[in-house]
Amino acid sequence: MSIAPLSPDQRDSLQEITNIAMGQAGASLATLLNTFVNLSVPRINLLALPDVSGSIRNLVGSDVEVTAVRQSFQGYLMGEAIVIYQQAGCKELASMLGHTDELNQAAETELLLDVANILVGACLGGITEQLKGISKENNSGELRFSAPSVMAVNVPPETLINPEKLSWTHALLVEVNFTLENRNFVSHLVMLMPEKTIEKIRGVLDEFIASF
Amino acid sequence: MTTPILVVDDSAMARKMLIKSLPASWDVEITQASNGHEALQAYRAGKAHVMFLDLTMPEMDGYQVLETMQREGLDSFIIVVSADIQPMAQERAKQLGALAFVKKPVSPGIIESVLREYGVQL
Amino acid sequence: MSNPANNLPDFIVEWIDVGIFVVNRNMEITLWNHFMARHSELQADQVTGKNLFSCFPDLPEAWLAKKIQSVFLLKNFAFTSWEQRPYLFRFPHNRPITEGCEFMYQNCTFLPVKNESGEVESVCITLMDVTDVAFSQTMLKEALESLGESSNRDGLTGIYNRRYLDQQIAVEFDRAKRYGEAFSFILFDLDHFKRVNDSYGHLGGDEVLRSVAERVGSMLRTTDTFGRYGGEEFGIVLPSTSIEDSCFLAERVRQAIEQTPVNFQDTPIKVSISMGVSAFKIDQSGYKQLIDEADQALYASKKAGRNRVTCHAAS
Repeated sequence: MSIAPLSPDQRDSLQEITNIAMGQAGASLATLLNTFVNLSVPRINLLALPDVSGSIRNLVGSDVEVTAVRQSFQGYLMGEAIVIYQQAGCKELASMLGHTDELNQAAETELLLDVANILVGACLGGITEQLKGISKENNSGELRFSAPSVMAVNVPPETLINPEKLSWTHALLVEVNFTLENRNFVSHLVMLMPEKTIEKIRGVLDEFIASF
Repeated sequence: MTTPILVVDDSAMARKMLIKSLPASWDVEITQASNGHEALQAYRAGKAHVMFLDLTMPEMDGYQVLETMQREGLDSFIIVVSADIQPMAQERAKQLGALAFVKKPVSPGIIESVLREYGVQL
Repeated sequence: MSNPANNLPDFIVEWIDVGIFVVNRNMEITLWNHFMARHSELQADQVTGKNLFSCFPDLPEAWLAKKIQSVFLLKNFAFTSWEQRPYLFRFPHNRPITEGCEFMYQNCTFLPVKNESGEVESVCITLMDVTDVAFSQTMLKEALESLGESSNRDGLTGIYNRRYLDQQIAVEFDRAKRYGEAFSFILFDLDHFKRVNDSYGHLGGDEVLRSVAERVGSMLRTTDTFGRYGGEEFGIVLPSTSIEDSCFLAERVRQAIEQTPVNFQDTPIKVSISMGVSAFKIDQSGYKQLIDEADQALYASKKAGRNRVTCHAAS
C-alpha cells in the first residue's frame, strides 16, 4: 500500500498541534518532577517502515544505549507510542525523585514507566482533544491506553523496532524531545501509527486547513 | 491609526490561527516572522508596536528574542503566545519583558481581553 | 440490589471478577465492589466514607497516595504492574503457596473520573488478579533460561559446545585487548580415535569422549571454559593465564589421560591426546588467529609423533 506524503500545510498543522500537546505533556512532567522542562520543536515524518529504525538512530544518536517503554493506544487514534531514554537519564531521574541510594531494578523501572505514561497520556490526549475540536465528524471514541511496558533495556537505538514484525507499511513518526534544565536527562517520544490512522488525521488536518 | 503588529511563530498555521483570533475592529498592519532573527529585523524596521511572540522556535527562540530586546533596551508591547504552559515559562517570559502570556491553543476572545486590559485602542 | 435487570451497569460493577473501588480527594472510599469485599474481608458498608489508608494500614501509603494524587493533578491514567510491584493489597490467592508468592499478584489501572467542567472528582482503581499470568510468566522465563543453557551444551559429553566456546574466546579476546590481561587457549585431539571406534564400536568411542571430557573437566578452574570443538577435538579457554602456566596445565592433563585407560564394559581402552597451546598477543588480528595458532601447535604435536604438548609461542 502506498501513501501520499504529507503536504507542507498538513505537516505544519500537525506540528503545531503536536507542539501544543507536548506543552501540556511538559507541564505535567514539570509538575511531577518539580522542575523546568525544556521542550524542543517537534518533528513530523511520514516514513516507510524500513526507514523508521534509521530515523530513530538519527534522533537519539548512534553511540548510545537506550531503554525504551512502549504504550499502545486505541480509540479515536490507533498506534503505539515509544518513550526512549538514554542511560544517564534514567539514573538522573531516580536521583531527582529522592532516590539517592542505589535504586533497585523494580523501582527504577517503575519510575521509567510512570514518566512514559505521563508523557504519552498528555501528548496523545492533547493531540486527540485538538483533532476532535476541529473535526465535525468522526468524533466518537475516547483514547484508551494500554499499561506501559518495557520494550528494551540498554540496546542500540536502531534495534528498537523491527519492521518485519509490524504489519503496517508506513508510520507517522512524531518526535518530541524533553530535556530537564540543569540535568542530564533527555527523553524522546516517538509515535507510530498505521495507514488508517494516518488517513484519519490527514482528513481532519484538511478540514482544519480549509477553515482558514 | 493603523498599528504595525508582528506575529512571530515558526508554524505558518499557528500564525494564521493567531491572526484569525485578533479583534476584527482592530486596525492593524500585520507582518509575519518565522524565527527570532526575522522578528528582530522586522522590529528594527518599525513593524512591531505590538509583538505576538512564540517561545519554542528553531534557530533563535522566543526567550532569545526577549533577552536581546531587553539587553539592547528595545521597547515593544510583547505578548508571548506559547504552548509551553509551565508556570516557570510564563514567569521567565515576564521577567524578560513580556507584558502578557497567552496559552496555545488561543481561545476566541482572549487576545481582545488582553489588549483591552492594557488599554489598547480597538 | 433488588432487581439487577433494572440496573445492569451497577450489577456488573458489583459482581465482575475484577476489583473496582473509587476514592475521592480525601482518599475516602466511595465505592467498593464485591471482589474487593471478598478478598479484603471488609464489606462495602464497613469501608465506605472511610480513609483508604486507615482501613488498610499495610498499603504502601507514601507511594500510593502520590500515585493517586498524580491522577487528580495530571488528569491522566496511571498503571501499576505486578512485574515491578507484585501487589498493592495483601490479598490471599488460591494457588499453592509453595509456588513462591504469599499474596495475589495484581495489575492496577487508575482512571480519572471527571465532572462536567473537566475537573477530576475522584479516582477509580481497577485491580486484576494476575497471579496465574505471573506464575506462567515466571515458569516460562525459567524454562527459557534452561533452554538457553542447553543450547550451549554438547549433547554427548554435557560440556560446552563449539558455538559457546567460540563466543567465550571472542569475549576473552576483547577483554584481553582492552585490559591487557593474559589469556590462553588449548586445543586437543584424541590420538587414533578412528581406531578406537573401529575396535570398540561407536559406543566405545562415545564412552572415551565422555570419560576424557569428565576427567579433563575435573582438572580445570571454574573460570575456565571447556568445550567439545567437534568430533574428537576439544578446547579450553583459560582467562588470566600465561602461556607458560597453560603449557604446564596441558602437560598435566596429557599425563593424566595417558596414565589411566578408559574403562569400557570392563575393558581398559588406552587413550592419549595431542595438544596445542596459544596465547593472546597484542598483534593478533583477532580471536580467529588465536585459534589458528593453537591449531598449528596441535598439528605440530601430531606431526612430531602425537601424545605431546606444543606451545605456539615456543614453536
